Amino acid sequence: MSAPAPARGKTPARRPVPTRPDDTVRRTPAARRSRRAEAAFGFGMIGLAGAAILLFTIGPILASFGLSFFAWDVITPPRFVGLDNYAAIGSDQRVVHSFGVTAVLAFSIVALQVAIGLFLALLVDQRRRASTKAIFRTVFYLPLLASTAAVSIFMTYMFNERFGVVNYYLTLLGGSGVPWLTSDAGAVVTIVFVAVWQSVGFTFVLFVAALAGLPRDVMEAAEIDGAGPVRSLLRIKLPLISPTVFFACVIGLINAMQLFDQAFIMTKGGPGTATTTITMVIYQTAFQNLQFGYGSAISMVLFAALIALTGLQFTLSRRLVFYS
Amino acid sequence: MPLPPLSRRSLLRAGGVGLALAATTTLASCAPPSDPKALKIAFFGDQSGADELRARLEEPVRALDPTIRLEINATPGTDWNEFFAKLLTQIAAGSRPDIVSVATEGVQLMAGRGLAAPLDEYVTRDLAELQDYFDDVSPALVEAMMYDGSLFLLPLDYNAGNMYYSPVLFERAGLDLPAPDWTVDDFYDAGRAMARIPDINAYDWVVRLWGSWTSFLYANDGNLLTEGRAPGGQWLWDAAYAGNPAAAGRGGGWAWGDPVANSPAAVEALEFMIELRKEGIAPSPDVGGGQTSQALFAAGRVGMSVGGGFWAGGLHNAGMAPGTFDVQYFPRWKSQRHLFGTAGYSILETSDKKDLAWEVVKRLTFPDAFDVLFPGNVTTPARQSLSTAQRYETTGPEHWDVFSSTLTEFPETAPIPAPIYFNALSTALNQRTTEAIATGDARAALDGLQIDLETAAGAVG
Repeated sequence: MSAPAPARGKTPARRPVPTRPDDTVRRTPAARRSRRAEAAFGFGMIGLAGAAILLFTIGPILASFGLSFFAWDVITPPRFVGLDNYAAIGSDQRVVHSFGVTAVLAFSIVALQVAIGLFLALLVDQRRRASTKAIFRTVFYLPLLASTAAVSIFMTYMFNERFGVVNYYLTLLGGSGVPWLTSDAGAVVTIVFVAVWQSVGFTFVLFVAALAGLPRDVMEAAEIDGAGPVRSLLRIKLPLISPTVFFACVIGLINAMQLFDQAFIMTKGGPGTATTTITMVIYQTAFQNLQFGYGSAISMVLFAALIALTGLQFTLSRRLVFYS
Repeated sequence: MPLPPLSRRSLLRAGGVGLALAATTTLASCAPPSDPKALKIAFFGDQSGADELRARLEEPVRALDPTIRLEINATPGTDWNEFFAKLLTQIAAGSRPDIVSVATEGVQLMAGRGLAAPLDEYVTRDLAELQDYFDDVSPALVEAMMYDGSLFLLPLDYNAGNMYYSPVLFERAGLDLPAPDWTVDDFYDAGRAMARIPDINAYDWVVRLWGSWTSFLYANDGNLLTEGRAPGGQWLWDAAYAGNPAAAGRGGGWAWGDPVANSPAAVEALEFMIELRKEGIAPSPDVGGGQTSQALFAAGRVGMSVGGGFWAGGLHNAGMAPGTFDVQYFPRWKSQRHLFGTAGYSILETSDKKDLAWEVVKRLTFPDAFDVLFPGNVTTPARQSLSTAQRYETTGPEHWDVFSSTLTEFPETAPIPAPIYFNALSTALNQRTTEAIATGDARAALDGLQIDLETAAGAVG
């Protein structure tokens, strides 16, 4: 029960300190030491996590931000160039183009990840036996555990135009070999396919959990009221799991915008620059062309773009996401 | 005595101090400790190869200095550009080896950026000891290791872009084996004939700087960059190569000038590759070091492919019996000029053990060091005297002498164009080549490459 509001114009009475059940215990020196030790341990644990985040996440971000105002080739000392690196980005066609490539790949991947993940989750949700559900959950989640580099390497062989197993079966079926990795469209489709194949397990598991948590009474009421499977999905299930869909979109987009391994290993960004993502440009700029300052500036722009996109998603979520 | 109560603020303060200490300690542990007793070599390859090399070099190094420990750290990569990118990142992180394996691709990058130490004084001082080496090594290889008049590496091995072929597939296609003076037209006709055999690639190639369509570019008397020679170098030619006609006219290393990537010769060469693909003679190429291409060749599914001495051991190790593959000079187009790449070990400018490093580098030029460095016949020895029939007896190919005679038969043969901005050149070349193959428009792709190279050249001044 909340305390009564103080009368207008009067000094509020000091809120009584609630009596805690262990107050008597706290008074003993041993209990005090125990509590201090417990608190120290807790803060120690938080401190470790904080140190890791500081060292491996916040530190590099800050260092990268600082470096973006310098010209640095690793070998000679850094030279302060102010905003020159940022000014150069707008006129760098390579960067602008790679942002476009990244956007196309990322939105395709997220859309497919969410759609396929939801579809598979709905199918599994209909299974009655818990063991069947567990098998499907494991099977669909397994690719996510594999190393992206390893997956990309074997997919490169599978989609090889000359001796890949995909073209082998296509030709057996009477089709002709497709230049999966050596044509613009083929390379984009293949990379999206591989990224979705590997990561769809993540959205799938999220949706399975969300569907399992739907209130039974609401679903039963919908059934009694004569809602069919499609109407039930569109009017009941989707609105109820919309926070999960939103979460999957946010996380998926952040990950997809940083796509690197698949494109780097499977196509080296080609053919031409058809699959050169912004992270590849950052890698080439910093680590191959030794323009670490400029590479950092591009990273910062990507960071800002991700924040803006996430902010936009949150804004849209106010209209589209239903929090019960 | 009971401890005073620990306030939240004090705890946070203590935590902050602890955090700072932890950060300092972690950062300090990240920085590699300077070890005055370790001689570090950065090796391009896998760690097992590095360990094998260390095992075989340890004793000679200990003989030079018993207090020194030899460390050889491997850096893997699909091609030299990947190796250099990783190496430079390691150097940036404070890990500075004393000796680094460097190929033509990285000579100017390392020398031009002040990373590699010139060897001029050491070579001059120990010339008597090295004369046997210089007598045995083509001046073309040595010149490729010079930059701005100074020598930065002693070449240990090299690979010229020759043409491997399958005598089996030539026979199946009813063709005569290629002659030393065969032409690009002969190559094209052979490709068309072999393309009729199902499930094979008459010609296979990869997208990279060495031995890609660049081999056709060289044979077409073209290049990606304007060729020139830096002044200087006479200190070496006059002393080590006095009276050697092959050294006449050489300078202080290759000086790569303005990009000419969209020259008529370049467009014609790349259009030729597009034509090969359209006619089913060659497939769309992979980007990288050519391992897949080599595997396909070993499986008997490739008729012809550009390769150097390094393919001999590779094909043999892959199970190819002698007689199932052979090699010939690259076919003549406007000329029969080949390209080549050479490699050796460079001393880093930052090394505080340069004298010892030099002794090791010098030791690696001794004839008995070659098979220690390159077990399994996987490259061409820079020393002519090591290219013998006995070396190729087990592995083949039958015409092994093609490897060693390319430089003398075709003196206009030149190193791959690897300027100080090699990494940017390599990336741009790969991208624009795959673009040309995908779109079929060589001219547009090479116009783009020209702009890329001009931008890269401008960025390094």
